[in-house]
Amino acid sequence: MPKLLPCLLLLVLALPACAQEDAPYFVTYDHHLEEPGNLELEMNSTTGVPRSGQRAYIAPFAELQYGVNRWWTSELYLEGQSTAGDSTIFTGWRLESRFRPLAAEHAINPVFYLEYENINEASRIQKEIVGKAPLDFEPNSELRQAHAHELEAKLILSSDVNHWNIAENFIVERNLSQEEGFEFGYALATSRRLTQSVSPHPCRLCRENFVAGVEFYGGVGSTKSLGLQQTAHYAAPVLAWAISDKSTLSLSPAMGLTRYSNPVLLRVGYSYEIRGFRNKLRKLFRSH
Amino acid sequence: MGPKALMIAAFAVTTMVCLGIAQTAKPPADKWEAPADAAAKPNPEAQNPDAPAVGRKLYMRTCVGCHEEDGSGKDTGAANLRSSEVQSQSDGALFWKVSNGNTAAGMPSFASLPETDRWDVVTFLRTLKDSSDKGSPGSGGKKEGAPPSRQNHRL
Repeated sequence: MPKLLPCLLLLVLALPACAQEDAPYFVTYDHHLEEPGNLELEMNSTTGVPRSGQRAYIAPFAELQYGVNRWWTSELYLEGQSTAGDSTIFTGWRLESRFRPLAAEHAINPVFYLEYENINEASRIQKEIVGKAPLDFEPNSELRQAHAHELEAKLILSSDVNHWNIAENFIVERNLSQEEGFEFGYALATSRRLTQSVSPHPCRLCRENFVAGVEFYGGVGSTKSLGLQQTAHYAAPVLAWAISDKSTLSLSPAMGLTRYSNPVLLRVGYSYEIRGFRNKLRKLFRSH
Repeated sequence: MGPKALMIAAFAVTTMVCLGIAQTAKPPADKWEAPADAAAKPNPEAQNPDAPAVGRKLYMRTCVGCHEEDGSGKDTGAANLRSSEVQSQSDGALFWKVSNGNTAAGMPSFASLPETDRWDVVTFLRTLKDSSDKGSPGSGGKKEGAPPSRQNHRL
């Protein structure tokens, strides 16, 4: 993995900036923010197939992504979790903001990401993988008692290069509820539309409506113990299908690369965009 | 100062720095006009019967988030593409604006799209012409609270 990053950066610097694409990633962020005033509603789930002796789980989460202005997108997450043979519980909420300081397209486009998480230890959505500790598999009734207030920051570097999107996220997380030091993680991804040619005829199940790619993500320890020992890493092909002009269905089966990873994480997502949400809301309140 | 307070302070400072950087972004120019030679360029896709359909698909993929499906931008505050202010511009001028963008005013550059695709988008934009528009420059498609000059530099 350390050899992959310089190669990706070299590729980004060597090629000219290119087309905008809707990236299909579940974990990695690219530099494209939500359009100002638009609201994107997303329903996602992470299904974990754990190792023997552990229980399978499904962790659904809702995302409300709002374009505050052209350089600021804000997002609210509400998440839950259901474990086989155990219970279904609400595991908390997250509030994040992404800031894009440079409006124009560059070879590498930086975005700053800040997130506050108010979750409990039963959280399983695995929106990011950081640090070392593997997931706890105690009963939900115990895990939900352990609250975690966490702050997370990411440096997002992303480029559109010859119809490919390439994104790198560098993650640092701090648990404010207990002393775990600063935990680190990464996410790398690339994707492209299956074809660049556009048919004049209406079609939904044609290649121009699909974006495919691959993500790699994992933890790299913490300030207390930096390194790759006892860390979880995943390789995840991703596929997104624009099922209408406003909605997208995404799928990603992630394969665990270490014995501390789940063997398989299946991620499924559906997003729907409400365009001009801000003005529609204004009109609604003006009319009453 | 404990680690918790330190983290909250760092969060607040970083947020302020980000906001500060963004606020210092170059303000939009008063007038956004294509150079004369670019405006005079003919549209090579004008006679292609498939161009409006291809252009519509590309528009729905890349432009609709701001300009909306009917091109009015009425709910998003983007330029009204149906207005005579936009429709009175030549194909070459619209092509130049789509290609170069005006990022200070929120209009991205789409130079990365193949040239033919950009001409197809321009060809599609012609199908959005507002039938209620009377044709006098600047008179049609005026949005609430957005003077013509504001709209103009956004397309």
